[in-house]
Amino acid sequence: MPKVKINDIEVEVPAGTNMIEAAAVAGVDIPHYCYHPNLSVAGNCRMCLVDIVGGRAPEIACNMQARDGLAIRTDTPAVKKMRQSVMEFMLVNHPLDCPICDQSGECRLQDYYMEHGDYDSRGVEEKVSKKKRQDIGDKIVLDAERCVECSRCVRFGDEVTGTGDLRLMNRGDHTEIGMFPGERLQHHYQGNLADICPVGALTNRDFRFQRRVWYLKQTASICSGCATGCNIQVCHQEGEVFRYLPRRNDAVNKSWMCDEGREQVAGISGLKRILRSRVDGKTVDTEAALIALAARLKSATHVGVVLGSQATNEANWALLQTVRKNLKSARIFVTAGNDPGSFEYADKLLVDTDKNPNSAGVDLLAAFDGQVESWEAFGSAVADLDLLLVLEDDVVGRLAGRRTAAAIAYLGVSRNATSEAGSIVVPVCHPVEMDGSYVNRQGRVQRIRRAVNAAGDALPAWLIVDRLGAKLGVAPGTGMVAAAFNSMARAVPQMRGLEFKTLSEAGQQLIVETAPVAPTEATV
Amino acid sequence: MAMPAARKMTSLESIYLVELFKGLALTMGHVVKNLFDQNRFVTIEYPDVRKTMAERYRGAHRLLLRPDGKVKCVACMCCPTICPAKCITIIAGEAPDDPAEKFPVEFDIDMLRCIFCGFCVEACPKDAIRMDTRIYEVNAYTRQALIHNKTYMVNLMDGIKPPAEEFYRLNPESAPAGFVSSPSASGAP
Ligand code: SF4
Ligand code: SF4
Ligand code: SF4
Ligand code: SF4
Ligand code: FES
Repeated sequence: MPKVKINDIEVEVPAGTNMIEAAAVAGVDIPHYCYHPNLSVAGNCRMCLVDIVGGRAPEIACNMQARDGLAIRTDTPAVKKMRQSVMEFMLVNHPLDCPICDQSGECRLQDYYMEHGDYDSRGVEEKVSKKKRQDIGDKIVLDAERCVECSRCVRFGDEVTGTGDLRLMNRGDHTEIGMFPGERLQHHYQGNLADICPVGALTNRDFRFQRRVWYLKQTASICSGCATGCNIQVCHQEGEVFRYLPRRNDAVNKSWMCDEGREQVAGISGLKRILRSRVDGKTVDTEAALIALAARLKSATHVGVVLGSQATNEANWALLQTVRKNLKSARIFVTAGNDPGSFEYADKLLVDTDKNPNSAGVDLLAAFDGQVESWEAFGSAVADLDLLLVLEDDVVGRLAGRRTAAAIAYLGVSRNATSEAGSIVVPVCHPVEMDGSYVNRQGRVQRIRRAVNAAGDALPAWLIVDRLGAKLGVAPGTGMVAAAFNSMARAVPQMRGLEFKTLSEAGQQLIVETAPVAPTEATV
Repeated sequence: MAMPAARKMTSLESIYLVELFKGLALTMGHVVKNLFDQNRFVTIEYPDVRKTMAERYRGAHRLLLRPDGKVKCVACMCCPTICPAKCITIIAGEAPDDPAEKFPVEFDIDMLRCIFCGFCVEACPKDAIRMDTRIYEVNAYTRQALIHNKTYMVNLMDGIKPPAEEFYRLNPESAPAGFVSSPSASGAP
């Protein structure tokens, strides 16, 4: 690997590494606007100009690839002057919008001005005014005046979505970002435009004026919208979640996520959440509901249990253990398909047709157990069941009107057909309210993390199952979420060597090559 | 911004007792003066007599209006961010026909928590909030009446003080949630 020097700090990086990235490895921050790690290099903002040791003229770092012996400097007076001049140039026509601009607080113009600009204004000319507050899409508000013409959004449209919708038009200081007349953004990745725009030209309509970003705390987690499992940051303040942002993971979602994924935020404190336990229509505390559930599970002859493709690995593992240890005759099933009401959209870029975040995890556990039956088998067996225990998935909705079990117990997050049909209902935490893990469609184990406190009486599903197990006789021995994960990782061969703690500490997901398991093969 | 360094005490000042007696001497001076000339009392007979505060006295906040009658404030959240007492609550909203785009739907200051530091005034990029009313009596019979809201603060002017309690009683539609006009507030002690 070539060795490069940045300000005399030597680092070894793979050949061809972009020098902005190489500098980051060396701990040197090279300011940049147009460069984005997941887009092509445009080299038009000139903010990243650096001196090459022994070179004739400064060059842009974003278009420079690491090669052996390359040495650059970012601390020379010339570089400082260049950065300042670029800043001055960019701000010549920039409006004084910070007080009303949603980018404020995470804006490259603000940050770099404080760091590299800090000059006395020489502005005497009128600023060029452009169109503000333009409605260019369902998710995006465009303010052309704030644009610094970095062309990130243009490249996103050309290279990622292939829609080619945003364009830079005209020349000189009249260059303006915009759409073709009469057109609006049509794709399902609009939110990313607001994320990649280094300034406040493209801002998110759903988040508009909701909260200043400097108040928000971020918790690294996973989107629960579909089987892709995009890596996200949950942005929250005082127990309220305001937005999801994509978190870069080149193996899963690069730097992107879909708009439907972002819309999941609305469901967290939505009116449909189940907040209290219910037994036969009466509100009770969770303990009482679990005692009733344990009693009914013990007395029923034909018990069916459905693993949840929306529940975490830990919850499914705890359920599998509890049922196998306590209810010898119970039949366990997996689900297939999606809950009615989940979003329809799917594509080749990110959004999977499977709208359950943990289908692969459930399949893995089902294959491990060997006795778990398929959704088809469930379809023919369900009518004969005395009691059906459902984890999170809307099984009744998925049966679409077909006859279901005599009685249903539902552990779930939101109200749906199953919770309506359920004689016992226990509230479960939303994914942003608990720790756990999912396996995505690539067989990648990814951590979700608790960002906010649980709504109402909701508890993590694995904990509910653990308590239920204790009431049935033998608890699954998963007293902590890490213990649940670790006992699963010890037992399931594809997970061997994984540890909850190291999964979380890395902040990145470990790859487990799950043998491709199809539930039907394993169970029929 | 660098703070000016504190002045060093002189050796005389650091012997505490000297300063103590200087203070006592001043007090005694006033006692003697008041004994002979009662027209030059330093104290006033509050509340029958009220002091006019200095021009720069930092009193209760008011919100300023633009020439077109809308509040200057654009809900930028600088003041709630800087406020050390965390007593400013603003809910921002979109103003569809206004080029300012953003405005405070609600703007409350909990005067029970305010420490009158004036940081909010310093932080405001729009000169939308000032503490130049010279109002120093911020009191009421209920806690709710000490939440100064947008409507109230727009109505405050230099030295003219409808107490918040009275204002909310007369304008119940703009009173803060939970405000109940107490019987004692209507005049009877
Ligand atoms: S709108 Fe934003 S992303 Fe697009 S060119 Fe302008 S500054 Fe860059
Ligand atoms: S593609 Fe799937 S996982 Fe990614 S953001 Fe959208 S719904 Fe979430
Ligand atoms: S004067 Fe100080 S404490 Fe009072 S509202 Fe302003 S910033 Fe807050
Ligand atoms: S700092 Fe000024 S403009 Fe900003 S929210 Fe406070 S009063 Fe309004
Ligand atoms: S980041 Fe290199 S020119 Fe813009």
